[in-house]
Amino acid sequence: MSEVLLSLNGVSVRRGSSSVLKNLDLEVSGGQLVLLNDKNGGGKSTIIEAAAGIHPLETGEIRHHGNVILDSSGRSKQPQFAFGLTLQSDGCIGSQRVEEHILNALDVVGGRIHIDTWLERYNLTHRRHDLISHLSGGQRRKVAMLAGILPGFVGETPRLLFLDEPAAGLDEDARTALVEDLQHLRERGNCILLASHHSDFNACATHIFRDNELNVNDSNTSNVHEMVDIKTTSSQSGVVFRTGLALNQRTLSTLASNGIAGFLTLGMLLALVDSSAIDSNLIQASGLFLSAAFAAGLVGDSMVAMLHEHRALDWWKAHRQGIPNSYLHALILGAGLTALTQLGYDQDISWIIVTIGGLLTVSTMFVIRGIDLATSRLARPRAAFTRILTPILILPFALFVQWITDSNLL
Amino acid sequence: MTKRIAETILLYGFIGIGTTLGLAFLAAPSVSINAFESPNAQRIFYWHVPAAWAAFIAFGFLFVGSAMWFFKRSNAGWRMHVAGAEAGLATGLMTVWSGMVWGAAEWGVPWDWTDVRLNTFGLLTFLALFLVLGRQSQPDGVETRDTFSSFGLFGFVLVPVTYVATRLWQIRHPGPVIGGGEEGSLNSEMGLILLVGAISFTLFIIGHMLMSMRITSLEQRLESIQEAMDKV
Repeated sequence: MSEVLLSLNGVSVRRGSSSVLKNLDLEVSGGQLVLLNDKNGGGKSTIIEAAAGIHPLETGEIRHHGNVILDSSGRSKQPQFAFGLTLQSDGCIGSQRVEEHILNALDVVGGRIHIDTWLERYNLTHRRHDLISHLSGGQRRKVAMLAGILPGFVGETPRLLFLDEPAAGLDEDARTALVEDLQHLRERGNCILLASHHSDFNACATHIFRDNELNVNDSNTSNVHEMVDIKTTSSQSGVVFRTGLALNQRTLSTLASNGIAGFLTLGMLLALVDSSAIDSNLIQASGLFLSAAFAAGLVGDSMVAMLHEHRALDWWKAHRQGIPNSYLHALILGAGLTALTQLGYDQDISWIIVTIGGLLTVSTMFVIRGIDLATSRLARPRAAFTRILTPILILPFALFVQWITDSNLL
Repeated sequence: MTKRIAETILLYGFIGIGTTLGLAFLAAPSVSINAFESPNAQRIFYWHVPAAWAAFIAFGFLFVGSAMWFFKRSNAGWRMHVAGAEAGLATGLMTVWSGMVWGAAEWGVPWDWTDVRLNTFGLLTFLALFLVLGRQSQPDGVETRDTFSSFGLFGFVLVPVTYVATRLWQIRHPGPVIGGGEEGSLNSEMGLILLVGAISFTLFIIGHMLMSMRITSLEQRLESIQEAMDKV
């Protein structure tokens, strides 16, 4: 008897105004593939997403490999062994390359395999360097599906694989290849939870979960296949940092959003405030020098908007290893804006103020990003007027400027 | 008859507020010209302070309602959250607006970014504005309620900060005029008008909240009826 890798104990989940899951109990062991093929609105996606720890629980707890990763009191823990996840809405960022997203999914689980075989198998080799946003819906689905299944081929440890409609939009050849891959994954001892209405998966599912009942699948026709020898190499560290860096360099989003706000502020200051005002101490020079950096930070982290695409934010949140950010670019931008402001007023550059300017942009961005992430569960997060809360930073900024002035840092 | 309670309390509140304004302009004693830059503007005090008092009550209800929803999943708690946010916004704006008029006359500036009480109270009003507009932008559901309740819970930390602000940092706002020791006490005539104002604004806030809770309850009933009709 294989070890139970996934347990949902008395799980209740509310979404919108209704209870989607009520006291659900489900245990899945290594080597099992449970097919969820309830009717539409039956809670298939909610079961997958709850099992991945995406939804807060009203009651119950979720266990991965015997350890609680989420319970109804809100306690959340990073799973000991990372899992593979394909969300119904893909979960990939459009500005990422095909290869990047798949390798990210592997780095998250702590090991890499050669992905060429699978890219070829699913006819994506010629697209490996393309941006995901340039792909067709079916191709994007293949990328999302590969990010969900390939972690199961990494190392010897059996893993949990959560696949929500992995075959949606896939052609027949790709579906056949997927069924074969799922059989291999099951034989390697992985535990797979798969939601789909495609009858193709009846061939490889060991169990079917429908109407809150788990039944053995009698129509399972899978045979023992020859095990494929797959070499695992070490993963690259800092996947979150790398992703944030790569996306920022590719899209220049921090420069385009935060930078514009900072440069506009700088331009207005130079137009409206005469440099003689600084010399005659009519205004607090430190506040003037830091205003552009502060305005740049107030825009927030453009990465959050990118992550809202195809629910990529939920994909990253589920893995509990951090969420890509733009802090490094914000630091450079804030420092640059502060230095430019000082030069604009014919002042010598104070490196202390330049450093403070960089850190100010980062810390301001950090708070606004926190507010944005706190509202990310909403049905329409971008319509939630979160910017109304930005004045919360003005008092600390004013007191900070007062402190710099009193400390004679300039 | 019971449905009219909210309207009746609200009506008494309005009458009381009108009376307070009348007393402030006609019966309140004049203050010393040595103590104030703009002695006549000091009469705004009889509107400003009771409005702030009412806002604190509203924010208190907002906090309790948020906690009731967040920890107990109480529908009544959510209605209290909605009513508290709306009442907090109304009285918060009254306080901020009257304070800015008074500040412009007394300090020469309507706003000072370094005055802690001014800013924390302004932030509370912004929080209420966010909760009201944000909630209206979202479909009702557990995600909406959880998110805004958590902001209601965390935002309440500004209430004690605002309360103690003038005890810790007297930048523009004076120290407490009631309960702050002998130095800050009001004379009996001023205290009486302030009391009338406080009672009136309290009635206003209670009436406002009862009405708001009833409207939210009706909205919830309408939504459940619509959902039932969807299934037919």
